[in-house]
Amino acid sequence: MTLTKFLLPITILLLFVGGCAREETGTVTAFCGSASKPALEEAAATFEQETGIRVYLNFGGSGTMLSQMKLGKSGDIYLPASPDYMSLAEKDGIVAPDSMTIVAYLIPVILVPAGNPKNIKTLADLARPGVTVAIGNPEAVSIGRYAVEILERNDLLDEVAPNIVTLAENVSKLASLVALKSVDAVLAWHVSAIDLDTVEIIYLEPEQIPRLSYISGAVTRFALNVASSQKFLDFLVSPQGQDIFRKWGYITTESEARKFAPGAWIGGEYRLPADYQSLLK
Amino acid sequence: MFKIMRGAGGERVFRAATITALALLALFFFSIIISLLTHTNWDTFIRALVSEEILFAIRLSTTTATIAAIISILIAVPVAYAISRNDFPGKDLVDSLLDLPIVISPVALGAALLVFFNTPVGSAINNNVIRFVFAVPGIVLAQFTVISALAIRLLKSTFDGIDPRYEQVARTLGCSKPEAFFSVSLPLAKDGLIAAVILTWARAVGEFGATVTLAGATTLKTETLPTAISLSLASANVEKAIAVIFVLIIIAIIALLAIRKLIGRRYQI
Repeated sequence: MTLTKFLLPITILLLFVGGCAREETGTVTAFCGSASKPALEEAAATFEQETGIRVYLNFGGSGTMLSQMKLGKSGDIYLPASPDYMSLAEKDGIVAPDSMTIVAYLIPVILVPAGNPKNIKTLADLARPGVTVAIGNPEAVSIGRYAVEILERNDLLDEVAPNIVTLAENVSKLASLVALKSVDAVLAWHVSAIDLDTVEIIYLEPEQIPRLSYISGAVTRFALNVASSQKFLDFLVSPQGQDIFRKWGYITTESEARKFAPGAWIGGEYRLPADYQSLLK
Repeated sequence: MFKIMRGAGGERVFRAATITALALLALFFFSIIISLLTHTNWDTFIRALVSEEILFAIRLSTTTATIAAIISILIAVPVAYAISRNDFPGKDLVDSLLDLPIVISPVALGAALLVFFNTPVGSAINNNVIRFVFAVPGIVLAQFTVISALAIRLLKSTFDGIDPRYEQVARTLGCSKPEAFFSVSLPLAKDGLIAAVILTWARAVGEFGATVTLAGATTLKTETLPTAISLSLASANVEKAIAVIFVLIIIAIIALLAIRKLIGRRYQI
């Protein structure tokens, strides 16, 4: 083998790596909870058209995204779909305290397969014998914790618990379980129902909802490109960005969210009952 | 370029090259484990190790993987033998079908199993025979679906490498067909069998995608070790996730050494 034959691939490889590194400076990487996926994808595309700044979006559970950022020590923006994980990120020093902006509000609802085969109309219907229910794993999935709180506040936890056949590891899985008709109902966010041909939304009574959640964003301390990152966050809460979120069914103002739950807390923490695990077995 | 490999010097170069490859790969995995060690918080590790949740996950993972590995080997031996020794129309198609689980991602397999249990036949099995969906047997089924193809592939190439004439000679000496198989072909397949047991068991312990999709992630019910790692990451508890990864590594090393010793010894004559 001649020397040139050996060096050529290496040179090409180096050029390629070098090229990538230069390109990175004009881009922003965001780690986002999957509840914001449809709207964020459109928002990022529009933002790139207008500013030329490319936003790379990573989606997953809000906690998983935080773990990945912590382990990889990278990521310009953190956009969790629940306030709990934003406060965790603040506590870990990943984002500066009080630097977050609320992008959209999330309403907990019941999702059932299209056609509502078990005729579920209210929260109490989940306690009916023969109805199978799934919730998110309360330790890991934010909506799972909200589900336990809703059931507990409405004195239904003991009755519904025997019907809870499984705990899902993320919120996207909950919508799939309904779409695949593997369970009769799940407690999820109203925006989790992406495909309304397969999934139907049942709204709870306004007074049954003790707490609302929100999607928020903040620039992290790993950010390489603070100005561009902040610009993207500003875009998300600008009238143009909020229009995109509304188009995808998100609720962007507190007063609008209040219509679904006038007396609810917004954000904050909820401690799981100590014995909930034995109830869900 | 092989000209330079000629002679005693070439032999040394060749030997050095292969050993270097081995050393580099071992170093690669070793440094991954070392980097995990530096990230491990030992208090969290001990607390995770003795917590009810992780002890349960350890028991669940090892039992389900053992059952899945035994079932898949018991089925894979005749299946692999049949494919290896017989020619029939459509053999290529059947062969490819059996390879599918290796190619298709485990999450997709899990989703496909969920869909199957929604069909009339599937739901009849699920409601009247064994409950698989969101239950512990679902873990075994998910692991089995993923690993059986691996076992068949390994055992088929093992049987392919055994000359059928050994069996023919045994039969001319008065052995029946089953006798010839059990006293000639199977002992000759020992190495492949050990490899198949080790790999399928190890793959079953590590299986996550199909398991979590079919059986769910219910703490103290269907939470296996890989599920525990994923849930810890999902709750942004990196220290606990690394602690559980370490638990998984330790169990894997102990078990793999044990399987090697046990099976290796029993068949040695």
